[in-house]
Amino acid sequence: MPSGVPPITGDPPVLEARGISRRFGAVQALADVDFTLRAGEIHALVGENGAGKSTLAKIVAGVLRADSGEMALFGEPYAPGSRREGAARGVAHIRQQLSLVRGLTVAENLQLGRPNASALFNARAARAEVTRLSDELGLAVPAATIVDDLPLAVRQQAEILIGVAWGARALILDEPSSALGPVETDALIRLCQRLRAEGTPIIYISHRLPELAQLADRLTILRQGRVVLAGEDVRQADLARIAELMIGDLSLLRVERPQTVRGEVRLSAQGLGAHLDHGVGLDGVSFTVGGGEIVGVVGVAGNGQEALAEVLTGVRRPTRGHVVVDGVDVTGSSRKAIAAGMAHLHEDRATGLAHGFTLADNAIARRIGDRGFARLGVRLPGPVGAHVRELAGRFEVRPPEPSAIAGALSGGNQQKLMAARELERDPAVLVAAGPTKGLDPHAARAMRDRCFAVAERGGAVVVISADLDEVRELAHRVVVLSGGRVTDEFAIEDMTSGRLGAAMAGMARPRPRPRPGAGRGAGAGTGGAPRADHHG
Amino acid sequence: MDRLLTETFWIASISGGLRLATPLIYASIGETFSQRAGVLNIGLEGYMIVGSLTSLYVAVETGTLIGLLAGGIAGMLMALLMVALSVRLSANQVVVGFALTTLGIGLTGFVFRETTPTPQDARRVSRLSEIDIPGLSDVPFLGDAIFGNNWISWMGFALVPIAWWCSARTTFGLQVRAVGEDPDAAAARGVPVVRVRSLACLLSGFLGGVGGGALMLGQVGQFQPFLTANRGFIALIVIIMASWSVWGAAVGAFVFGFFEAFSSNLRNVVSGDVPTEALNAIPFLVALTILIIGARRARMPRGLGVNYVADR
Repeated sequence: MPSGVPPITGDPPVLEARGISRRFGAVQALADVDFTLRAGEIHALVGENGAGKSTLAKIVAGVLRADSGEMALFGEPYAPGSRREGAARGVAHIRQQLSLVRGLTVAENLQLGRPNASALFNARAARAEVTRLSDELGLAVPAATIVDDLPLAVRQQAEILIGVAWGARALILDEPSSALGPVETDALIRLCQRLRAEGTPIIYISHRLPELAQLADRLTILRQGRVVLAGEDVRQADLARIAELMIGDLSLLRVERPQTVRGEVRLSAQGLGAHLDHGVGLDGVSFTVGGGEIVGVVGVAGNGQEALAEVLTGVRRPTRGHVVVDGVDVTGSSRKAIAAGMAHLHEDRATGLAHGFTLADNAIARRIGDRGFARLGVRLPGPVGAHVRELAGRFEVRPPEPSAIAGALSGGNQQKLMAARELERDPAVLVAAGPTKGLDPHAARAMRDRCFAVAERGGAVVVISADLDEVRELAHRVVVLSGGRVTDEFAIEDMTSGRLGAAMAGMARPRPRPRPGAGRGAGAGTGGAPRADHHG
Repeated sequence: MDRLLTETFWIASISGGLRLATPLIYASIGETFSQRAGVLNIGLEGYMIVGSLTSLYVAVETGTLIGLLAGGIAGMLMALLMVALSVRLSANQVVVGFALTTLGIGLTGFVFRETTPTPQDARRVSRLSEIDIPGLSDVPFLGDAIFGNNWISWMGFALVPIAWWCSARTTFGLQVRAVGEDPDAAAARGVPVVRVRSLACLLSGFLGGVGGGALMLGQVGQFQPFLTANRGFIALIVIIMASWSVWGAAVGAFVFGFFEAFSSNLRNVVSGDVPTEALNAIPFLVALTILIIGARRARMPRGLGVNYVADR
């Protein structure tokens, strides 16, 4: 446990950034950001996806340059032109995507890129150095094992160890726990506390609040590239308020949802459990979605969303529980799920489409052997072309050219193509993961309308998204996921920043019960009897 | 068949094996560096043949050492095309490699024909004599089998530990392996990926050219079109056989050389009974066997043959 607020002395802060701004094209990633890292502290940098945390980290590490603003490291002007330069000045940047070279051992990685490394490589000394530091930090990093053979958590420890060996005077950990399980996260927290105790201050980027409460001394919140809370003492802070600050103002709610009628339960998730090697799985997730209803699954990224999408669509077999579509058990079988009328808009368009294949290949992928499209196993280009042209026109895929390569389409058109493939026939259930992620407003609107259309025709829609705006605009009801569990569940009208923030921060409420007067029976929770009532 | 067991037969096979292995050792060591850096030089055959002709033409005017170095430089100039087209401009390595092989064979054949109007005009160098090592050369059997090599061969053998040391004990060696395994991560650690790959590829060109020169000046002494007879490709096989280890490549080169000498000596022993083609196939059958056995543990550099394009 952290011990007291770090002393404020007359020494200059470890790192002081003033007025940092950075723009990417039309997006102002950082606007006039001030940030101070004091000696001996773990300073948490939090914010939603796209808030600018990683951009700030990259600027401090030297990966990116700021458009304006200045920095000082231990009181001296600091403007690194590269990661290497940053490392030479004593700033170690541990990224989400680790940067150890595969195929080499930890000891070899220690030497590679080391500031002022000699031209000769003393393998024995490097191995001894890794072993010594590993002991000192209470780790078990093997020096002579090839990086590929190490589990992710150990690779991360190795990278931190290398940063220390290179003489890091400040560490930046960018979402270090996003791919770790609970046990590994605890080990990481202990390592950070140990480093702090030995005098290495840490900038710790995360959006998992419970972890930060355990670990950090101070906390800075970014939202849309601006500091909304600067260097607050974590022990005095109210987590729910912090979550609220991260999320921003929810009062600007604009509801454009069409009126739909919640019909019978079409999708039912029953006590789903899943285990992921890296990252958070599922731990007893249950909810139901009725026909005509759109349910938004929210939560900060990395709290089980990925596993949920895979389990619902049958790509991943859950360790326990069932997925039922219209009374048919489709657990763990994407084939059964598709046969039952499941459609899936994949979060990652690179995975959801066959990029090197044509528009026609992708558009008819679900029904490639249909009579009319193929005879004796040979594709009939005429009927396929006509069908794909019609489909592309209907879903506004541009260009509507069957022979175009899917990977060459713009992001929005790829998303429309995926929608054309999945939604061509009215699906019983649509699982849409981040359906408008990264789309321009026009394309995003088109995708929203697709989701509404599915609901209007009686389909059940699940929108899994880390983007609250997206969920706010789409969903009738919200299910909050934290640490692989459902921590709260409520009608969209009941969504307040405070309630949502608390749930997202992992503070579980008692299982929701139907509340009198809640417009749409929030309690569809655990497979209640089918009922029909009106959505607003 | 009794003649198979004579001492002379084995001495001839081993010493011939070392001689035949020399060009392969040079070429495969250079190419091991290049492949570990991720650059596959299918054009090694081209580097070797250009090196062999150049070394001959320079050696007849100057001397053996300068001729050998000139061969290396000629091979390096060929590799410069590989660097420009594949390493820098990301052209497919296999396609450029085959083009360089074809170019090397065609170009040397053309130059040879143009400069050799009659067979009497053909340039020749005399065979290098073996270096006499006091004491060792007089040891029975081994003296003749192992210690009767010319200086080009000895230099090739000496290159093996040096190359191993460079690969395992220098930062450059680490950088070479890093850019061949994981160029993106290497770049993130500040390794100049394109520069390291270029240097490794040029080294392969240089040593490939020297290998061609070793073939010319240490063995045949006279050019003929397609002199190298697929030795560049054999060097590529040797590297895979050796799982990209420098020591392994040297051993593999000797195994190849030995069986080549063995089968050619066998030809004199069993003349008429067995078709020559079948005897010529022996080294390749051995290589194939080793490849099949060795393939299970072979781990090729992950980035081999994949061009690196920087993200930013």
